[in-house]
Amino acid sequence: MLKGHLDMIVLAALAPGPAHGYAVIEEIKRRSAGAFDLPEGTIYPVLHRLEQAGLLAGRWVTADSGRRRRVYALTRRGERALAEQRALWDQFSDAIGSLFKGGRSGKNPA
Amino acid sequence: MIREYAERLARELAYDPSLSRRVQREVEDHLWEAVAASPAHERLEAERRAIANFGDPRAIASQFALVSLSQQARKVGVAAVLLIVAVFIAMKARLVWYGVMQCPPIEAMKALGEIVIAVDRYAFWLAVLAGVAGWIYIDSRRLPARLTDEYRRQLARFSLLGSAAGAALIVSVLGDGVLTSLRLAASQSPVQFLVPVVSMAVELACAGVLISYLRGMSSASRALIRRGGAGGSRAAP
Repeated sequence: MLKGHLDMIVLAALAPGPAHGYAVIEEIKRRSAGAFDLPEGTIYPVLHRLEQAGLLAGRWVTADSGRRRRVYALTRRGERALAEQRALWDQFSDAIGSLFKGGRSGKNPA
Repeated sequence: MIREYAERLARELAYDPSLSRRVQREVEDHLWEAVAASPAHERLEAERRAIANFGDPRAIASQFALVSLSQQARKVGVAAVLLIVAVFIAMKARLVWYGVMQCPPIEAMKALGEIVIAVDRYAFWLAVLAGVAGWIYIDSRRLPARLTDEYRRQLARFSLLGSAAGAALIVSVLGDGVLTSLRLAASQSPVQFLVPVVSMAVELACAGVLISYLRGMSSASRALIRRGGAGGSRAAP
């Protein structure tokens, strides 16, 4: 389930601002209250793929530790893609919610 | 331990040296940061935990394989167009040189020359069409999270267009070789050979580079399919 939505999750984690891979993983864990605890390495192929698709822009910076790290930020296209996916998700979630509500109240005992 | 892990992952990605270097650097930074944030008192334990949380390097490498192949396909698309343009410039430079040096074709070979010119022209424009179509096609495809049957078909179509461009370019370059020989057969001065020989070398090199790019992409594509295509061809849930 999670794998099919990883692009949207990563884009959403970068919505507040640019971050490097480790910070993206931490943000996903924090905002999902630990529900999305995926192998951390799986995030990097996603970041590279989104960068290649033009949804993210990456640049190397030097961290306080002196290590070089790649920081990713949403591009305009990425922001648009996130907004589209969010709208689709809201629509889907509302539809499923209505389906469950209908199932509970409209159960036919016959 | 962390360096060893990052090097292992980099070795798994050795087929794409620039990706391998970049991933190694990113992964090392990630793991050291995870160690710094770990509540484990013992550093070795923290390193072990960071590596375990990161996942199996082979599985991660196979997810990168598709990203690498797609990047390679896009590069081949751009390279095909640039190499065809380079061949065109070489051809034009040679024609200008013939005008300056006043070296007409041999009269006796004129009929053969006309046939070769026609073949050369059609082959060149076929290479332009196939190359540009391939570039636009692969550039407009969206890279899926895993190797799907649809993306496999798209890569096959791109390979077909690329191969058509490569084959047509070879025919065109061979035609140029014949035409250049016909022109230079009657030449007296070695100076007249200068630009034609250099431009033919450029054309041959361009055709060679394009073929080697196409072969590289084709073997990367086969390797990806052998690896299981970044999680197989299942549809995303």
